[in-house]
Amino acid sequence: MSKIEEVKAMVQSGKAKLIPGLVQEALDEGNEAQNILQAMVDSMSIVGDKFSAGEIFVPEMLMAAKAMSKGVDILKPLFAGQSTASYGTCVIGTVAGDLHDIGKNLVSMMIESAGFEIVNLGVDVSAAKFVEAVKENRNVTLVACSGLLTTTMTAMKETVQALKSSGLTGFKVIIGGAPVTAEFAVSIGADGFAPDAGSAAVKAVELVKG
Amino acid sequence: MLTKRQNLLETIKGGNPDRFVKQYEFMHFIMEAPNPGGNFPEPGQTIKNNWGITFRWPEGQLGGFPVHDEEHKVLKDITEWKSYVKVPPIPTADEDWAPAIAHAKTVDRNKEFVTVFVAPGVFEMTHHLMSMEDALMALYEEPEAMHELIDRLTEQELAYAKVLIDRLHPDCIFHHDDWGSQKSSFISPQMFEEFYLPAYKKIYGFYKANGVELIIHHSDSYAANLVPFMVDMGVDIWQGVMTTNNTPELIKNYGGKISFMGDIDSGVVDFPAWTPEIVGKEVERACKTCGKLYFIPCLTQGGNWSSFPGVYDTVNEVIDKMTKEMF
Ligand code: B12
Repeated sequence: MSKIEEVKAMVQSGKAKLIPGLVQEALDEGNEAQNILQAMVDSMSIVGDKFSAGEIFVPEMLMAAKAMSKGVDILKPLFAGQSTASYGTCVIGTVAGDLHDIGKNLVSMMIESAGFEIVNLGVDVSAAKFVEAVKENRNVTLVACSGLLTTTMTAMKETVQALKSSGLTGFKVIIGGAPVTAEFAVSIGADGFAPDAGSAAVKAVELVKG
Repeated sequence: MLTKRQNLLETIKGGNPDRFVKQYEFMHFIMEAPNPGGNFPEPGQTIKNNWGITFRWPEGQLGGFPVHDEEHKVLKDITEWKSYVKVPPIPTADEDWAPAIAHAKTVDRNKEFVTVFVAPGVFEMTHHLMSMEDALMALYEEPEAMHELIDRLTEQELAYAKVLIDRLHPDCIFHHDDWGSQKSSFISPQMFEEFYLPAYKKIYGFYKANGVELIIHHSDSYAANLVPFMVDMGVDIWQGVMTTNNTPELIKNYGGKISFMGDIDSGVVDFPAWTPEIVGKEVERACKTCGKLYFIPCLTQGGNWSSFPGVYDTVNEVIDKMTKEMF
């Protein structure tokens, strides 16, 4: 197995401790940093698919994301000045009144590993804060809103409306969380929806590519 | 007409119930039983419980939440759990238990089950102490320490169980431990079997060996993949089974070994703009597809109330209507 394939396999199986060494070895073998990064992105997308299919669970996903981020730490200095993110910046948060963040964080990791820069606003994020973050950050191409409570679905609606009527442009809005459906997303004017973290990354890329 | 107790037993033993069991009707909760973990906040409050876990309930929101920023997280390093986790004492004084004992005395045990609500469960304790992410990753990164922590939490549950049984002789335990999201279990069945099955075999085995007739486990989630373990640990009724589990299929495969209580997803019927029509449709679907045996139509949420006034009672009314139609 080539080093790059080993990196891929170890990200997939979440071997965070082994990754920094392997990434270094792959570089020493003469592999381009860009290709190593791509290999890790590919494995995270496999991880996402397996999670969507119910073959793996939250701990496996967390471990894979941790492994990837250790690998990215090694590559970062090599991308100095240039951004590793090719799809722009994604602003993500859990909507006002809602404090659930496990699903949102998984989505954030997957979107990040698909090639976005992430600005994570945390939980209980007001519509105004989302709008503010789009203004303040460079090249925001995607806003992702999470909500787990049926009672915060109204906050989700308000957030999407505030974003759409803010006069700001250049970004799409994706929403998700257990009570959210594709129909609901359409009804409140969001651009996209995904049922889980794996498909969220796929959808994010699709939306931004246009 | 059978009593609530008899009708429940007929339902879960595959006998001849004369009507649907109406949600929690057979459980008579003794909420005065002291909880060694201590209290939960009221709306607008922030409290620290007896484990040192900070819970915050912001005004205007649905409920309380453990706070896990670096300052508030109790268990900051799982390998050092012994120095971080201070296990609270179990209340044993007569005056602690007097109100619960007095309440339990008023219950006619031929008609209802004297029931104690036990929460949080062992899995929930691990993530309340250290956050969900840490608790899940530690299963991979520090399995030995996690086994030790889980053993310690199990001992605490057993110590509490002993006092509870001595004081109240409950007929039924309603035990909370959410094991999944709506689409999947949090951890794989293999991991569950390694880490949590042994704990629950001990806990539920102890209750059963000491005269508790019914073990009801609450997890309002997907957990169909964990049902064989529920059977193994001695769960009589899984409460909280969401429609995502394909409840009719579970009843077909496991009815007789375990019963299922739920199939009316709280998220679908219990929300600010709820209507009796939506409730009616959901309850009817649940009763018709799940049938009369090994099934108790119920909101998936863990307790005999609803978040929005009227929903719980409306569910009961529709169950009555379905009884008239189907029995
Ligand atoms: C774990 C949990 C908690 C933990 C949360 C810990 C944390 N740090 O997040 C704790 C115990 C703290 C908690 C607290 C509360 N909870 Co809670 N909780 C859950 C539970 C069991 C699982 C949620 C979860 O983490 N799932 C795992 C993740 C991986 O799945 P997920 O969140 O669905 O996310 C996936 C997808 O939805 C999607 N997704 C998520 N976000 C996004 C965003 C985008 C953009 C996209 C594309 C996709 C996407 O991808 C994710 C990954 O695949 C659910 C029950 C359930 N069956 O879902 C209840 C549940 C959500 N909680 C509920 C409630 C009521 C509460 C509380 C009010 C207290 C209470 N009474 O229980 C408080 C909330 C306070 C508040 N204001 O927010 C209710 C909501 C009911 C309702 N009417 O809406 C539920 C449904 C349980 C229930 N039936 O009572 N909870």
